Amino acid sequence: MQQVPVSEFAEKLVREALKRGFEEAAAIVSRQRSTMVKFANSEVSVVQRWDSLTVGLYLTKEGKILLTEIHPTGFEQASALIDRALAASPQVRPSFLYAPLPEPETFEPLSGLVDKAIIDAMNDPSSLAEAMLAGATGAERVAGALTLFHGQRGVATSKGARLEEEATGLEAYLRAFIGEASGQWAHGSRRLSKEAVERMARTAVQLAEMAKGRAADVEPGTYDVILSPMVVGNLMNLVGMMASGMAVLMGMSIFARAEPGSKVASEKFSIYDDPRNPELLGSTSFDDEGLPTRSKPIIEAGALRTLLHNSKTAAKFGAKSTGNAGLMFPHSWTLRVAPGDAKLEEMIAEVKRGLMITNNWYTRLQNYVEGIFSTIARDAAFYIENGEIKHPVARVRIADRLPKLLSNIELLGRDLYDISWWEVSPAVRAPYVLARNIGVSRPFV
Amino acid sequence: MHEDLLQRAVDLSLQLGASYAEARWHRHSGASLVVRNGEMIGYGESIEEGVGVRVLVNGALGFSATSTLTWDSVREAVEQAVKLARSHSRFMKRPIGFAEARMGRARYEAIAVKPFDSLDINGKLAVLVEPWERVKGTVKEARVMTMMTRYSEDVEEKTIINSDGAFVVSKVPRLTVGYNFVLLHPQKGTIQRSETFGGSGGLEQLERWKIPESAEEEARNLENVLLNGVEPPKGPVDVIVGSEIVGLIVHESCGHPSEADRIWGREAAQAGMSFIKPGMLGERIGGKYATVIDDPTIPGSYGFYLYDDEGVPARARYLYKEGVINEHLHNRWTASLWGTASNAAARAMDHNSEPIIRMANTYLAPGDHTFEELLEGVKLGVYMKSYMEWNIDDIRWGQRYVGLECYLVENGELTKPVRNPVLEVTTKSFYSSIDAAGREVRYEPGTCGKGEPSQGVPVWFGGPDVRLRSIPLGVVA
Repeated sequence: MQQVPVSEFAEKLVREALKRGFEEAAAIVSRQRSTMVKFANSEVSVVQRWDSLTVGLYLTKEGKILLTEIHPTGFEQASALIDRALAASPQVRPSFLYAPLPEPETFEPLSGLVDKAIIDAMNDPSSLAEAMLAGATGAERVAGALTLFHGQRGVATSKGARLEEEATGLEAYLRAFIGEASGQWAHGSRRLSKEAVERMARTAVQLAEMAKGRAADVEPGTYDVILSPMVVGNLMNLVGMMASGMAVLMGMSIFARAEPGSKVASEKFSIYDDPRNPELLGSTSFDDEGLPTRSKPIIEAGALRTLLHNSKTAAKFGAKSTGNAGLMFPHSWTLRVAPGDAKLEEMIAEVKRGLMITNNWYTRLQNYVEGIFSTIARDAAFYIENGEIKHPVARVRIADRLPKLLSNIELLGRDLYDISWWEVSPAVRAPYVLARNIGVSRPFV
Repeated sequence: MHEDLLQRAVDLSLQLGASYAEARWHRHSGASLVVRNGEMIGYGESIEEGVGVRVLVNGALGFSATSTLTWDSVREAVEQAVKLARSHSRFMKRPIGFAEARMGRARYEAIAVKPFDSLDINGKLAVLVEPWERVKGTVKEARVMTMMTRYSEDVEEKTIINSDGAFVVSKVPRLTVGYNFVLLHPQKGTIQRSETFGGSGGLEQLERWKIPESAEEEARNLENVLLNGVEPPKGPVDVIVGSEIVGLIVHESCGHPSEADRIWGREAAQAGMSFIKPGMLGERIGGKYATVIDDPTIPGSYGFYLYDDEGVPARARYLYKEGVINEHLHNRWTASLWGTASNAAARAMDHNSEPIIRMANTYLAPGDHTFEELLEGVKLGVYMKSYMEWNIDDIRWGQRYVGLECYLVENGELTKPVRNPVLEVTTKSFYSSIDAAGREVRYEPGTCGKGEPSQGVPVWFGGPDVRLRSIPLGVVA
């Protein structure tokens, strides 16, 4: 079982589904091994390791869509779910989203998705964990996580697609504490670079250093805000999710009333779904319907260029699949924000009265269609006055509308950072960003 | 069959040098239906099953999981968990230990009165279509831009065996039904509502939830808010916080900061820390109405369990008691740090997840007021019944709740609808400002996120309506 290529397993399931009477079938089989070292108080709180096989099946009959997912021990268990789906099918109604599975297209495999150094390190990641802690010299204590993974993903469809891909990945993030001050940074890649992990740890410590001293409260109001790539990554996850055709159909998107080509952001701002870039975590050569992926702008120079589609949402919008299936929910693979040409110091110099926020979490929305949201700063945050960082500030909230934030972007940094962590997934390659006149709040009492 | 596999895993762990070992077979099986604007999108079934093994070796903790239920695969999981724990034990300055605990040896099941298979797929589809029909029919001047309804049933089964003698077998069915709609008016914009019903048990819960009636009433009231909502008053006013929001507040600002692992710093780089520090038991956090209980044993609750995933028998925990920080949520590890006993808060989402400290069903204790009595004496105030946006900082101190269905209170009466009032308070100011609480506790289900990788576990949040005195409200412009 362990030796069977995942695409062969997928193809066998597709054949089985057709034999039992389904008209179409797609199977996704992924086998993944991962190892994670979790730190807290500069100690290892737990080392975890996973070995999993996941099968997703998409089956149709007379326009009805049935989905199954299982972690099977063997083929028989997976095929038993096909029987259950068959038994359920007479009662299922035709899907409002139904469209035929796409015909396979020529595709180019991506090279460079596997780094053998990651596979080797998975057996004993302790020296890498040590490097991460060593990079945090100067911190009183650190917390964080280091994750390594290696897997195969196979897709087969009843239209004849049979594809398989192997990939590795690394995600590392660290929160460094010095007294009451803290800084956090993250790094994600398909490749192992000890230097990048150490640099990530040093950045976390540098931010904690900068944030030392009494953090002052900020008066609620409107400020220019410089957002670090950590914050940009978190907010761009939201933009990426909202760009899904399914999110639009569900009323979960600021693009629900936007036509492709319409202005949705500052003309300085572009964001891409970039699956063909093998440096980025999440990069892949084919989607869950077996179509080749392509890198493309979601927003380019401020204009909405495309929603992200599978063949079903594409049919609803009169568009073509963008290679972003998700059997039901199309999604971005990995996001990249185009850089600007500013250095961070130049961005700070441009701010008369503002804040620099280096990390955030807990982004929630009152209304997805209007993009009414707030998110909370954590770790190092600073008050800027007349082009200079004045002092650290206590936890504040950005509370505004996402379309306004996108439209008020004025400067983008020239350096890009590959961010992936608990609050940024899928991974985002992003620069620092300056947005003008953004609402900031904190508890009234 | 699984019991043999688990016992062998525990035995092998000890042979390989573990001082503690625990093996859990964990299975979720379920079905789901999704409907948009009354039309089916799809039907799904899933089975997620595997074994998770946790070991302590030289004071370091290792966890390993496999979805392949063969001895070869489980043996490899054990060997890897032991090996990884051993190789990382050199990082330990303070070896991990577990407090003594009485271990459960029991078998229990939450019984569905109406099992999931007592209604066919068509019947379940009808559960999702009727709310759409009602919402569509009740909205007059606005239109329903979109409405999603979803049905999900899940049966969670576990067998837990550990080297300290635990042997617990459990089965808990859970049902959730939810809707999300957006109302659109050309001039007034949009208003959006998400609501979920959930609990353990079977389809009998549907009768209690009255989902079509709830959806219709909410759509009617929210159209009124969209069309006629006014800004909340400026300056401090009395605020009646509805039970839906109270439940969320106590989950966020009492339950989470009372998790002892968070207080210790184990989640510092993920879900954050706590304003509660070691040694703060007994300190005051609010007034006499600030009693918050977390109780896994509530029959029918979404967060129901009788033994935790370390095999410790569950009980109600009084986290805040009459305004004082009274008790934290512990597993056996944090209990050893605090020199106390575990109160059975260790939960794992699935076989891939290590057990960590979690809430179950967290609620504010009821008071003695009727809703009318809460309104009495409010000259000018706002009643916040429901919410959409909320968040809280990573030490669980500064928090924000944006009201959705809200009304002005004038001279003890509900009058005009209020649009998007913002309650942004600290934990202490909230618990210190309650001057009366309703007599009825209501619960909402939620999936609480914590851990790395993130684990979502079912919980209830609950509480009565409460009255806060003299609170300044913000507004979403």
